[in-house]
Amino acid sequence: MMLFLENIKLALSAIRSNKMRSILTMLGIIIGIGSVIAIVSIGDTMRSVIAKEYENVGINRVIFYTMAADGVYTNDDMFTQDDIDQVKDAFGDRVPYIDTYCQDRKTLSNGKRQQEQVYVYAVDAGYDQVQPMELLCGRMIDQGDVEAKRHSLVIEKKIAENYFGTVNALGRTMEIIDNDGREEFTVVGVYKEADSVLTAMSGGGMPTVYVPNSIYFTPDSYGWELNCYVDETADINLLRTQMTNYVARMTNRTTDEVICVTAREEMSSIDSVMGILSAAVGAIAAISLLVGGIGIMNIMLVSVTERTREIGIRKALGARTNHILTQFLIESAIISAVGGLIGTLLGIGIVALGGLLIGVAVVVNPMIIVIAVGFSAMVGIFFGIYPARKAAAADPIEALRYE
Amino acid sequence: MEELIRITDLNKIYDSGAVQVHALKNINLTIERGEFVAIMGHSGSGKSTLMNILGCLDRPSSGTYLLDGIDISQQSNDALSDVRNQKIGFVFQAFNLIPRTSTLKNVELPMIYGRVPGKARVERAKMLLEKVGLGQRLEHMPNELSGGQKQRVAIARALANESPILLADEPTGNLDSTSTIEIMELFTQLNREGVTVIIVTHEDDVAAFTDRVLWFEDGQLVDDRKVEKQS
Repeated sequence: MMLFLENIKLALSAIRSNKMRSILTMLGIIIGIGSVIAIVSIGDTMRSVIAKEYENVGINRVIFYTMAADGVYTNDDMFTQDDIDQVKDAFGDRVPYIDTYCQDRKTLSNGKRQQEQVYVYAVDAGYDQVQPMELLCGRMIDQGDVEAKRHSLVIEKKIAENYFGTVNALGRTMEIIDNDGREEFTVVGVYKEADSVLTAMSGGGMPTVYVPNSIYFTPDSYGWELNCYVDETADINLLRTQMTNYVARMTNRTTDEVICVTAREEMSSIDSVMGILSAAVGAIAAISLLVGGIGIMNIMLVSVTERTREIGIRKALGARTNHILTQFLIESAIISAVGGLIGTLLGIGIVALGGLLIGVAVVVNPMIIVIAVGFSAMVGIFFGIYPARKAAAADPIEALRYE
Repeated sequence: MEELIRITDLNKIYDSGAVQVHALKNINLTIERGEFVAIMGHSGSGKSTLMNILGCLDRPSSGTYLLDGIDISQQSNDALSDVRNQKIGFVFQAFNLIPRTSTLKNVELPMIYGRVPGKARVERAKMLLEKVGLGQRLEHMPNELSGGQKQRVAIARALANESPILLADEPTGNLDSTSTIEIMELFTQLNREGVTVIIVTHEDDVAAFTDRVLWFEDGQLVDDRKVEKQS
C-alpha cells in the first residue's frame, strides 16, 4: 500500500518535471475523452429538450384522422360535436379530454388601435387537467363557460402586459376579429407560456388565447381530427385498436384508412434515433482513444529507455521485478487518468458554453465523469504494460552500464 | 570473528555462442564480519565479475557463494532483490543517485523497498545524512552537489537498511584527491564502527586505507595479503 502511494507520488513528480512532454502525451486521451463526453452530453441534452417539447404539446396526446384512399373526402370523414360526445361515452373513462383541435388564426384587439394576430384555440372544459398550464391569475375555461357559451377569454402573460400594463387583466374586455365579424370577450384568466426551445429559437411564435369551444365549434361545425388526451395508466395499444375500430365505423372507412398518431410513440422513436446517433458518433470518437493509447505506449517506451540506468540503480538497491513493473504501470495509468480528467472537463466545458450561448439547459450525466476517468486509466494500463514489462525485465548489470 | 562471506570453487563463464569467456576460475575465499578488504587487479582480471556476484547482481556458473549463511545460487530473483536490499550497500564510481530527486528521498529509497514506514524512514535518512556531514543539504538535487558530496549521499544511502556489507566499485574514481581522502576516511570510520567494507579498486593509494588486499589476475585469485599500515 505504501509502495502504491509512493509510486503515485513518483508518477506525479515525473509528470510535473516534464510538463510539455506530459501534455503532448495526454493529448490523444484528452481529445478522445473530451469528444466522447461532448457528444454524449449533446445527445442527452437534445433528448431532454425533445422530451420537454413533447411535454409542452402534450405527451399523452393521441390524434385520429382519416386518410381517404381515393383522395376524396366527404363529410363523413369529419368530426362533429355529436361524434365527440359518442366517443366520450364509449371511451371517456380512459380518455379524459377530446376535442377537434379547433384552432384558428384570428386578430385580437383591445377595442382601440392595438391589435395583433393570435391563435384562438376553442377548448372544452378540463383542458388544463390534461395539459399542464401555468395560470398566473384567474382560471381556465370551465364547464360553466362551455354550457353557457360565455365569452370568456384566457390570454397569455405578454398580451396582458402589452395591452393592460399588468399581469392581472381579469375582467378586462378584448375583441376577437375574424371574417365573420367582431366578438367581445372578457378575460377570466392569464397564463404563462411554457419555455420551449423551438419557439425560442424561432424568435417566438404567435401567442395562443383560449375560448370555450361552444362559441366557435357549434353543433353544425366540422373538425378534421379527433384530438384526444389519454389517461397515463391506460393500455395504449388496446385503446388505440379499440378507438381506431370505433372511428372507422363512425366515418364509414376501413381501419387502414384511420390514422392514429401518438405523441409518446413519436417521441420515443425520435429519442431512440437520437440515442443510436449519439452512440455511433461517440464510438467513432472513441477511436481517438485508441490513438491516444498508442501515443502513451510510445512515450512510455522512450521514458523506460531514458531511465534504464535509474532502473538498474533501483534494482541494485533492492527493487523487485514487480516493483519496477508497478512503478511504470502506475505512471502510465496516471498520465492517462489525468488526461481523461482534463478531457472530461474540457468536453463538459464546451457543451456548457454552447448551452449558455443557445439558451438550453445542458444535461450532463455525472456517472460519465467516473466512467471516462476510469476508462482512461485502463487505457493507460493496457498500453503501458509492454513498456513496463520491458523496464521490469532489464538486467541490472547492463542497465547500470547504460549511458 | 564470524564468517560473513564464503566462496567455494566459484566459476563464472560467459557464453555468447561462439566465444566462451571464463571470467572467474575456481575462486575460494572467505571474508569475516568487520573486515576492510580491497579487491584489485587490471581490467579483465575478473574483479568486476566478482563484485557483481558478491553484490548478488549476478549468479555463479558453478560453485557456491554463502552470504551471511544464505546460499545465493539457490535464490530466486525476488529473493536476491531482498538480499541486496537488506545485506548489501552499493557505492558506485558514478555515484548513481536518482536524478531530479532530493538527497533525502535518495537515501530513503532502499528503505522504501524495505517497507520501512514513512516517519521512521525520514528520521533515519536525516540521521544518516548528518552522519556523513550533509545535514544541511536534505532538499538538494544531485546536480547541485559536488562529486564528494554525491558520494557521501551514496554512502548514507548504502547504510539505509543497516546492511552488514558496504560494496564499493571504484568509489573514488571520479573524485579529486581531497575528496578521495575524505571518502576513504569515511569508509575507515564506518569500518571501525563495525561495517564490513569491500572496495574494488585499481589504485594503490586507495588500497592503502584497507586492511587486506585480494589480487586477481586472469580470473584467478593470485594473492591475498594483509596491508602494512604506515603510522
